[in-house]
Parts: sequence; structure tokens; C-alpha cells
Amino acid sequence: MNSDRSFNQRKGGRMIEIVAILTVAVGFYMAWNIGANDAANSMATSYGSGALTLKQIIIIASVLEFAGAVLYGKKVTHTIAKGIVPIDSLDPHIVAIGALSAILSASIWITVATYYHLPVSTTHSIVGAMVGFGIASVSQNYLSIGDIRWDVLYRIVLSWILSPVAGGVLAFLLFTLIKVAIIDRYNVVTVERVFKYLQILTACYMAFAHGSNDVANATGPMTAALGFLGAQTPTWVLFIGGIGIAIGIATWGWRVIETVGKKITELTPSRGFSAEFATASTVLFASSIGMPVSTTHTLVGSVIGVGLAGGLASVDLSIVKRIIASWLLTVPVAAGITMAVYTMMVVFT
Amino acid sequence: MKFVRSVTDVFGYSPFEDLHRHAELCGEAVEKLIKQFQACIDGDFDRVKSLEKEIDSMEYEADKIKHEIRGNVTKSLLMPVDRQDLLQFLKVQDSIIDNTEHVAHMLSYRKFSIDGEIWEPMMNLLRKIEETVREYERLIDHMKNLIATSFSKKEIRDTIEHVPVVEELEHQCDKIQIEIHRKIFNSTHSSVMELILLNEIVVKLGEIANSAARSADAFRSMILGR
Repeated sequence: MNSDRSFNQRKGGRMIEIVAILTVAVGFYMAWNIGANDAANSMATSYGSGALTLKQIIIIASVLEFAGAVLYGKKVTHTIAKGIVPIDSLDPHIVAIGALSAILSASIWITVATYYHLPVSTTHSIVGAMVGFGIASVSQNYLSIGDIRWDVLYRIVLSWILSPVAGGVLAFLLFTLIKVAIIDRYNVVTVERVFKYLQILTACYMAFAHGSNDVANATGPMTAALGFLGAQTPTWVLFIGGIGIAIGIATWGWRVIETVGKKITELTPSRGFSAEFATASTVLFASSIGMPVSTTHTLVGSVIGVGLAGGLASVDLSIVKRIIASWLLTVPVAAGITMAVYTMMVVFT
Repeated sequence: MKFVRSVTDVFGYSPFEDLHRHAELCGEAVEKLIKQFQACIDGDFDRVKSLEKEIDSMEYEADKIKHEIRGNVTKSLLMPVDRQDLLQFLKVQDSIIDNTEHVAHMLSYRKFSIDGEIWEPMMNLLRKIEETVREYERLIDHMKNLIATSFSKKEIRDTIEHVPVVEELEHQCDKIQIEIHRKIFNSTHSSVMELILLNEIVVKLGEIANSAARSADAFRSMILGR
């Protein structure tokens, strides 16, 4: 462990506060982005099936994303902040600059990727970015390569593969059960009408689960940057993350909900219920063990599960290739941008 | 829309609405063909010609739908039915309108001078073909519900009940067809060319009903072959 105490003296005490404030600001942008796109995608299924109006969705999504973030977002935040890079053994200044580089780089990548409609995940970006920060501090001899928690990273990557699979299996079983026990026996129109109401519950469940997991992509680096305040994640950080997501939904996410919802009318209430329930359960479980997963990718896995159970007219499996490509692209790109940004900040400040 | 990441890509192209539209066009074309025959009997050759054009453009539209489906049903699509079964079914269904168009052209080749003795059973045949295609459409109408119930046993049962009915109607068409052939070959009408053409027309008319029956069978294979 080679934390550079002279760095602290050289830069003075004010700088760390400025860096921390900047990190919170960029983190807020990240939270907004999560609300605008990822939260919106998760909620669009309930809009597409007509279970909820746009206004109702925005209210439910904002409130429950916020609740999920504040009440259940701590574990994943902890994993992103401290799980990959052992920040407690680093100088808080280095950590603050590293966290700012990571959140800035992930935000830049997400913004560019979104512009080009790439199916990238904010989770993968921020994890890649934190790894980039870790490698950059190794290159400057603040850490040795073995200090980076590769075991945690390995588990995170495993969770990225397992979460869509788990969503798919759960959705397959759930829809098969619904088909055999309900759809085969009752009038399909009546069944769908009942599931329309049940889908209000799964929409809440989905928003809560999504908030609990994805908020960490914004609050993880914020927590790391604020490490000089103490070891605990301050609850107000989760508040900021939750509010950022809620504002993201209200200011931009509603358009995404509308656009996506209109395209996925195929997902009737019984199918939407299955996909949402499977996704929310998988994501909430991941939150409970502190694993940062992609809700969007889990939802894609769940939709494929419903398709495999014969519930959909057509599912395009080529998206699986695109998702794998986006993993392989996002992690190195986010890590690379972070290393460049971090190095520049250290050299020029 | 810029600045949107979405999950919509997981939903692939669904061919079922297009398949249904294609089946509807087949039914509409047969209806037009009956009108064309009536115009032929009435000696209204201009109307025969204009209906020929209408049927021709309907066949063209059906062809476009066929290509739309064939071009979009890629191997990466996960559908509740087998892809090959679906394409085979489409191919057979397309022959319904192909044969209809063929007859529409043949009617426009020349003016007919033969008397009502032939036309009466001919119209009977046409009405029976229409009945066959109507029943066929009732079969295809189940497609939407099959998807909605994700192919429930009851819906499959209700659907395939139509297949033997289509086949029975096709058999009745055959009988009328034989009767017309007899009349044609025993006719003392002066124009042999006209008789040959009429004979060809009757053969092709039979093909329309045949195609409907084979298509009903292919549809059944498709939904049972899951």
C-alpha cells in the first residue's frame, strides 16, 4: 500500500471538497440519466399493455424508484464504492479524483452510447470505470495489481450473465404456470383484464427493485468521493440519487415510456406481468446480495423467457449478440476513458 | 428519437398479421372473380377487363406481403410456430390468389358465345369455391386468438375443426367440376377454341379450391407441429 501523503499536503484541503462537489453533481446527472432511460424502459411494459396511464406511471415510478434507492440501495452502492477498488487504503484525495474520473467517464460513455442507440448498461459502464480507476492507481504505484478486488469483479461479471438467465427462467416458469392454470381454463379477455390490475403491483415492484440496484451507479462514486467524511455511506447521498432518478423520469423518461410503450403492445398484461415479476425479483435479489446488475438486460432475458414459453408472436434473439457485444465494449471503453481522465486530472491539478 | 436506449429490439417482426391480411386478400379476390364471371355472362366485356385489372393488382399486393414476410422471418426470430412450417404455409396460401388471378386473365382472352347451359353449373362451382374460401378464412381468423391464448388446447381444437369442413367443401367443388367437364366435352357448340378455354378455366377453378384445402392442411400442420 503506497498512499502518497505528500499529495495531500501539496494540494491543500479545499480541493477535495471541490472534487467531491463535482462528483456529486456528475453523479446527479448519472442518476437523471438512469431515470430518463433505464427506469423508463422498466416501466414502459405497464404502459404498453394499457395497465397504467402515463401520468400514473410517472408518479408510481418516481415514488418507488426513490423508495427503492433510499431504503434498499446501500449494499450495491457499497459494492461500487468500495468493493472493486480498496479505497480505504488509499489517500482520500486520490479516491476523490478517481471517483470523479469514474463517474465522469461513465456519464460520457452513456451519453455517447445513448445517442447511437447502443444497448449499453449504466451498471457495466460504472463498474468498468471503477476498474479503470483501480488500474490507473496501480500504474501510479498507489496500489499493487493484487490489491484490486478481482474476486469481487469476477462475481459481478458472473451476476451479469446469471441475471438475464435467471430472469428468463423465472419468466418462463411463471408464464407457463399462468398459461396452464389460468389462460387454458378461462376466457382470455377476462384473464388479461385481471392481469391489467396485477400489473400495477408489478410496476411498483419493478420500480422499487430498479431503484434499489441502479441508484448505486450514481451513488457508488459519490460515496467514494465523500469517503473523507467517514466510512459510512451518508443517507443523503441515496436521497440525491433517488431524487435524480425521479427527476429523470419526470423530465425525459416519460417520452421514453411513451415511445417504448407504443412499440411493445405485444406484451399483453399476462405477459408483462410475468416479465416484470421475474425481472424485479431477480434485480431485488441482486440488490440484497450487493450485486450491481443491469435491469434492462434482465428484462430482455425475461421477455425471451416468456417467448420461449410460447407467449409472444415473435422474439428477436439477435439482441443477445448485441448485448454481449455491448458488455465486451462497455467495460474496456469505460475503463479506458477513466484512466485517461484520471491521469489528466492528477497531472494537471 | 435521439438519446434513447430501449428494450424494444427484443421484440421481433411478427408475421401473423401479414399472414392474415394475405388470407383476406385471397378471399376478396375470389369475390371479385365471381363478379367477373357475372360480367362475362352479361356480355359486359369492359367490366370483365376492369375486374381482371383489379384482381391482378390484388395479387400483386399479396405478392408484396409475401415478400415482406419472407424477407423478415429470419432465423434469429423465436416464434411459437416452426419457421419452415410457416413459410410452407405461406407458399400454399399464396397459390390460392395465384390461381384466382390466372382464371381472371383467362376470362379476358375472348368473348364467349356459349349459352347458359354451361354458365349455370359454372356459377354453382364459383359459389361453392367462395364457400370453401370463406370457411378457410374462418380457420385463419383463429390465428389472433391462438397467439392471445398462447396456443391453448381449446383454441387449437376450435381451430382445426374447420379443416375437415374446408376439405369437404373442396370435395363438393370436385363433383361440380366433373359435371361441367362432362357438359363441355359433350357440347355441340361450334367454337372448339371456346370449349378448350372453358375447360382450362374449369381446371384452374378447381385449383383454387384445391389450394384452399391444401393451405388449410398446411395451417393445421403448422399449429400442431409446435
